[in-house]
Amino acid sequence: MMKAPGMRFTMGASPLVLAAGEEAESGSSGLGLLIPETSELIAGIIAFAIIFFFVWRWAVPAMSAALARRQEAERSRLEAAEQARQEAEQSAAKYRGQLAGARDEAARIVEEARQAAEGVRAETISRAQQEAEDIVSRAREEAAAESGRALEAARQEVANLSIDLAEKVVGQALDRETQMGLIDDYLEELESSR
Amino acid sequence: MRDALILAVSGCDVKNEVICAPTDVNELFEFTDPLFSIGGFHFTRTVFLIFAAMLIVLGVLFFGLRRQRLVPSKFEVVVESMVGFVRDDIAKGVIGPAGAKYLPYLLSLFFFILVGNLFEITPFVNFPITSRMALPAFMAIVTWAVFVVVGFAKNGFKHYFIDAIWPKSVPIALRWLVGIIELVSIFVLRPITLAVRLFANMVAGHLMLTLLLASGVIFVSNIGDIGLKAGIGVVWFVFGLGIFVFEVVVAVLQAYIFTLLSAVYIQTSLEPAH
Repeated sequence: MMKAPGMRFTMGASPLVLAAGEEAESGSSGLGLLIPETSELIAGIIAFAIIFFFVWRWAVPAMSAALARRQEAERSRLEAAEQARQEAEQSAAKYRGQLAGARDEAARIVEEARQAAEGVRAETISRAQQEAEDIVSRAREEAAAESGRALEAARQEVANLSIDLAEKVVGQALDRETQMGLIDDYLEELESSR
Repeated sequence: MRDALILAVSGCDVKNEVICAPTDVNELFEFTDPLFSIGGFHFTRTVFLIFAAMLIVLGVLFFGLRRQRLVPSKFEVVVESMVGFVRDDIAKGVIGPAGAKYLPYLLSLFFFILVGNLFEITPFVNFPITSRMALPAFMAIVTWAVFVVVGFAKNGFKHYFIDAIWPKSVPIALRWLVGIIELVSIFVLRPITLAVRLFANMVAGHLMLTLLLASGVIFVSNIGDIGLKAGIGVVWFVFGLGIFVFEVVVAVLQAYIFTLLSAVYIQTSLEPAH
């Protein structure tokens, strides 16, 4: 291999070279590796400068832009989620309101039905009571009429028996009209004196 | 690459040696045959790989980030995760909110070092460009310059420099000693350790991989001459494959460590210890 000037190093024997069994005189310590080679240094400076310029002017801004875009996308996703959540909450509130209205409506209907049923029940009871009272009063009237008729019949019977008895006692027929009037008067006196 | 390796260890005496190593260890790292030269600038294989690494980084970032879709592809997810990791865990995690300002530099460091390191285990490349001191040294010096400039600009000469080398919280008898340690540690050792850590890790990994895998190939291919001893080649090859997996971790880890320490140094310059 051809070597560039200044790149030959014969600074003594290295253990590596000795281990390889080469002649120590012709070996190199490798210390020369610590000295930068000019062409490589220039190439390194140029290459690094180009990389730095590229990273500084393009890569970092591109990365920041990508990051910003992702953050923006993330933010808009979060906002959309927040909006959806709010809409859902509004819907839920609306449904809850509707549900509450429906409950009130149901309660109102039940109450009305209950009141209607109460009215019907009260009316039925009142009519039944009325009918019962009518039946009782009619029964009373009939009983009173019956009782009157029985009393009249009994009175008639008593008068007839009294006249029959009196005729047997006096042995002759009595004026039935007159006697009947006397007996009636007497009986009325008895009733009024009671 | 294989030819170069075989060339580097071509003098291996398979009958007497147990592992093949080149006469000159530099041959494993220096591909100094220029493909062409412009003035004093030699366009070698390593230089070509440096530009290839640059193009790969640009391509990965471009195709990973260009579409910015809400639902990215797998490749885009990987690139975005790596970029996000550097941004959140290193830039913002270490430096804080002010880290966003240094993100382009830290991202460039991380991706360039990562691709450069991964060249070590890339088939047909098999050479980490970060094992050449030019790259770690340059990047460590840039990091040094950044944190020193930031320190002075943000805190002024007194708060950044004087408070570091003359720390009020330390007893006066020890203050000068701590001051010297701080001065050397912050302004001298930091860039050196930063560069050498990456460089040495990649050199060691490349050495192990090339010596083990090349020895494996050479011993096994010489089975006719050395008979049963070719079994050593199998052992080296299997061991080399184990190191290969290990080097994947090292490549990623070293890119992370270099970037992380750069962020830590910048952070300590922004808010020096009291």
